[in-house]
Amino acid sequence: MARQGLTQVSPAFEAEALASLDSLYRAALRLTRVPADAEDLVQETYLKAFRSADRFQPGTNLRAWLFTILHNTALNRARARARDTVAVDSEIVDRAADAPPAGGPPGKAETPESLLIRDTLAPELQAAIDALPDAFRQAVWLRDVEEFSYAEIAEMLSIPIGTVMSRISRGRHMLFERLNHLRPVNA
Amino acid sequence: MPNCHRIDPLVTPFIDGDLPESERRVVEEHLHRCPPCHSRVAAERQVHELIRTRVPALNKAQAPDSLHAKCWDIARLMPQPADAAHRAAMPSAQASRRLAPYALAASLVLVVGGAFVYQATDKSARVLAIELTADHMKCIALNHALGTHDAAAAVESSMASGFDWPVHLPDDPAKAGMELVGSRPCLYGEGKIAHIMYRHEGQPVSLFMLPKSARPAELVEVLGHQAKIWCVGDRTFVLVAREPRANVERMASFVQASLH
Repeated sequence: MARQGLTQVSPAFEAEALASLDSLYRAALRLTRVPADAEDLVQETYLKAFRSADRFQPGTNLRAWLFTILHNTALNRARARARDTVAVDSEIVDRAADAPPAGGPPGKAETPESLLIRDTLAPELQAAIDALPDAFRQAVWLRDVEEFSYAEIAEMLSIPIGTVMSRISRGRHMLFERLNHLRPVNA
Repeated sequence: MPNCHRIDPLVTPFIDGDLPESERRVVEEHLHRCPPCHSRVAAERQVHELIRTRVPALNKAQAPDSLHAKCWDIARLMPQPADAAHRAAMPSAQASRRLAPYALAASLVLVVGGAFVYQATDKSARVLAIELTADHMKCIALNHALGTHDAAAAVESSMASGFDWPVHLPDDPAKAGMELVGSRPCLYGEGKIAHIMYRHEGQPVSLFMLPKSARPAELVEVLGHQAKIWCVGDRTFVLVAREPRANVERMASFVQASLH
């Protein structure tokens, strides 16, 4: 069966693209925090993806390409809703990302990892991730949950690779501080 | 010896295991001599490992079936490639929705298709699983079949009139906690396949039977579902459910054993 020619959506392309639906939906939930908005975002992502399927370069990562469309779509929607807020927000983010991460009190960072892992349940972790500012949440989620490369994340978020790494680092430290506060003192 | 500032950009790729050996050693040596950096890296690593450990739980949220169906519809609204026969096999959701109230009744009145050559066997197991899983979601979501109950014998005889091969179903699916809720012939590839719908612990389970095809046994995870594929003689069976692998394997072994 002829499968070449992506100016039209081939069943193979379609099937591979739709296989990412659940993970796109989860990323959309992290972005919008509202299930109905997440569903809209995913639908718009697929609409754009299938419309511009001919622009996808075969051999590159289709999942990463879909995530790029998802993030661009989310960004455009956010901009359309509140231009000023987004502009201010991204400035704050970049300043925060440039600041060196806090070392934290020495004794606390030495907590054996098993304790943080033992004491932190998934719902707490999910809540702490959701509470991160957008830019850090996206970077940490895309790296640690979705396992995209720094380069792929840079492409998705339209930021330099160095910024990707500093946002991941900063986001992880914010999570550490928040989760460590939640841990029982005499654990 | 590098100072802390020089180490900074290397810390995150160091934790992620993305540094080349030479740079990794530079970071390790620095951490050995610098307690503040050591503690900073330890903190970041703990969070990284915590998230990695919790990924299965963080990934628990799944897109609703209705969203899956909508996105498949979006794909179908796009320009059709030349080999449109494949798509014709899957009815559009609009058409299915119109037919929904009649779907179960219609499945009992099958038109004999005559002999056909089943040509979908060259598809990869994954593509087959994705297509059947999509069919499973559509039929279940659009046919509202889950409130019904059917007897195996009734379904067998109704299906028999529609296929030129006998459809046998497990006699007592309740032994595996399954309840037969419906059946329909699905157009697929170049021919017709049997789609048997069950309910297991309140969740829909589909059993597809594809004649004149053989492929190796496999368990494929697609679209948040598990699809267990196996063959008996020249017939392929695919059991699809959104349930843990162990459940799907158990139901598949039950079906396999009871059809022998």
